[in-house]
Amino acid sequence: MKMGITCVAFIGPQNNPMYLRSMDPATDDHYLKLHYIVHCALDAVEEKVLLKRGPSDSQDVYLGLLYPTEDYRVYGYLTNTHVKIILLLDDEAPIKDEAVLRVLRRLHSLYVDTTSNPFHKFGLPITSPRFDAQLEQIVALYPRPGASLGGFTT
Amino acid sequence: MNARQPPKHSLNIVDRPLSKNRSEVPTVSLSAFAYLFSEYIQYLVDRANSISELEDRLEKVGFEVGLRVLELLSYRDKVLRRKTDVLDILRFIHGPAWQYLFGKTADDLQQAANGDDEYYIRDYDLLVSRYISVPRSYEPFNPGTLAAGIMRGMLDSAGFPARVTAHFVSHKDRQRPITTFMIKLEPSVMQRQAYLEAAKKG
Repeated sequence: MKMGITCVAFIGPQNNPMYLRSMDPATDDHYLKLHYIVHCALDAVEEKVLLKRGPSDSQDVYLGLLYPTEDYRVYGYLTNTHVKIILLLDDEAPIKDEAVLRVLRRLHSLYVDTTSNPFHKFGLPITSPRFDAQLEQIVALYPRPGASLGGFTT
Repeated sequence: MNARQPPKHSLNIVDRPLSKNRSEVPTVSLSAFAYLFSEYIQYLVDRANSISELEDRLEKVGFEVGLRVLELLSYRDKVLRRKTDVLDILRFIHGPAWQYLFGKTADDLQQAANGDDEYYIRDYDLLVSRYISVPRSYEPFNPGTLAAGIMRGMLDSAGFPARVTAHFVSHKDRQRPITTFMIKLEPSVMQRQAYLEAAKKG
């Protein structure tokens, strides 16, 4: 049974879903559930953004753990252009924030690469197969439970 | 003629940090850009039916560039925070963004006297218009519209929809006219700004 990152979603500035991908093979029903969870996560993102109105230097990109649901933990990341990256984790083990942040930064880099393409249309769903392949590579970097973080085998 | 190997970059080009040292940053040849830009304007002149359409198309191109520039710059500059204040984003455009695009910061940023939703950014010698002289018959046209489109793209994707127009202003001390960009923010932005101010105080 696969654990680790279950789902990656990119939401555009107008809260339009641009990309949602389940890392495990999923049925349509399962996709519906994922869409629903990501949609609820958007509310949590708004809440976090509104809470940070006070001190002006806390407009961070990484929003951290948004909220835990029954099976998943939801992490959020908000870029400067209001693009949100939502990550669903299936882990029960204690999560290292830095690992999640690393994956989110690489996803951001991938997104910037994709938008630098002059033929890319903003706001529309991302359908490039290269994007899919690179996303899989990035997700594979996230340590699965049972695999040691240092890369040594025991 | 010397044939040189293109420099190899070990990191992906997007991952390299913006460096303060100018010699490290890869740059595009100015003459190549000037040629390309002049060809593009000729292409547009053939296809556009009027001057305003010409300006519109040029501005649209700049808009697309602006969207991507903001995405790129805000990713590369690791300490950058998301801007919620109008002045912050304008200072960012005036400073780092102009520096990245044209190699120097813009020269002036000021707020208009009438109403606080209008701002002016001035550049004494805009790079894109440097090698272009507009004939009398095309008088209202300003090639700085490309830069205006870039600014509008950046403002729009940062969440500050606005109208940006470019104007030539001739100054007695200078040979070339100064390009002034008039930025007019939409009412929704001003409302949000007022709400933020109130929230900060109360």
